Amino acid sequence: MKVSIDRDTCTGHGLCYLTAPRVFSDDDEGYGRVLGDGEVSAGDADDALRAAANCPERAVTASG
Amino acid sequence: MTAGTAAGMPLTLNDLPMPEHRDTAWRILHDHGRLIELDNGFAATRLDIVEAVMKNPEVFSSKEAFDSLGSPVPLVPIAFDPPEQTRYRRILQPFFSPRAIRPLEPELRRQVIELIEPIAERGECDFIADLSGKFPIQVFLTLFGLPLDMRDQFIVWKDAILEMSDASSAGVPEASEDGMRKAGELFMYLSDLVRHRRGAAGEDILSQLLRAEGDDELTDNEAVGLCFLFILAGLDTVMDALGFGMERLAGDPACRQEIVDNPAIIPAAIEELVRLDPPAPFVPRVTTREVVVDGQVLPKGTRVTSLLAVANRDGDERTDPYGISFTRGDNPHVSFGIGVHRCLGSHLARLEMRIVYEEWHRRIPVYRIADGSTPRVKWPRGTVGLQSLHLVIGQ
Repeated sequence: MKVSIDRDTCTGHGLCYLTAPRVFSDDDEGYGRVLGDGEVSAGDADDALRAAANCPERAVTASG
Repeated sequence: MTAGTAAGMPLTLNDLPMPEHRDTAWRILHDHGRLIELDNGFAATRLDIVEAVMKNPEVFSSKEAFDSLGSPVPLVPIAFDPPEQTRYRRILQPFFSPRAIRPLEPELRRQVIELIEPIAERGECDFIADLSGKFPIQVFLTLFGLPLDMRDQFIVWKDAILEMSDASSAGVPEASEDGMRKAGELFMYLSDLVRHRRGAAGEDILSQLLRAEGDDELTDNEAVGLCFLFILAGLDTVMDALGFGMERLAGDPACRQEIVDNPAIIPAAIEELVRLDPPAPFVPRVTTREVVVDGQVLPKGTRVTSLLAVANRDGDERTDPYGISFTRGDNPHVSFGIGVHRCLGSHLARLEMRIVYEEWHRRIPVYRIADGSTPRVKWPRGTVGLQSLHLVIGQ
């Protein structure tokens, strides 16, 4: 699975890194960012999907 | 259904049973239609329309939408649109990020414990007057490097301003004279504060903001407007969210027990409680041009209100939307708003709520609403919250 964040749509709710802290992190301003290259291990896939579903701005994509 | 709530007829917010039956009030609005006529404008009750409105500030402007808040200075940045709003946002956002506020946690936790311990000893409280009405003001004072003994003075000032804005939006100007005087006092206090903090070396948020240079430099008026906004947006909202949350927990022993048994569930509980009871559930915008929304033509200058509590109960988006569950895996809600005006203080609000729920349930696992008392929502007003919440500790 691969995840990405649309930086133009993210407004910094922070729910992705609260929901899936092994997949996402926060930057100094509170915007979400993808950890590593965005490749998600099978063990973190559920959290990644939940993070995408919980994003109020629909800025998080998790697919594959 | 009465004639006033028949589908298609304009609704009046003040007629809704908000004080004691807010879930019913939200359901009436939901069942009335997707985009409904409400008071002197329209209101969106479904998530897709709320998203379309709140993510398009060019057409749905904030600029004229906040006239009734009664501030003597422009409310930076909620009463602005991009690009001005973008500038304020860029200046402010770093101070309210999770990283920036995390260091405050130990001090805020200490303050919460100090407020809860006497309640635990006494065995009863008015949660609003004794805890949720006090703590957010202390947080503001802490952030701004002001002495905590200013708390009760700030409560008087803040209440006066909010009452004034309610009175002016209800068209009762004479009721707001006392409020005007107190708003003037607060304005003077904040203006003096801004003057003293400019050029000062303090580590409080205001001193840091006033040190910004170049494009980010704030005028005195902008800085005072920001202080007003922090007071109007950051104090009663947390008080109200906590009051509603504790009311639901007091009435739902099973949910409360989940928190007591497993404090790790508190962040999810906060999202669910805030989904059900956003304290600022009416987000106003005014159209800048004619626009078609959900098949209806709205002329320029139309007020369009996003009803966040109703959008959060959109049955297309989740199952059992009026029920309470801390184990919804997916629980997207718009209680902190969406789009460019997403609540700047959401991370701070979540931190405040988490500390209160953690420290309260650690000390007071069993409590109920006092016999003979019925929590009532202050109504009508722009933000909603309980007037009081009398709790008795123990069975």
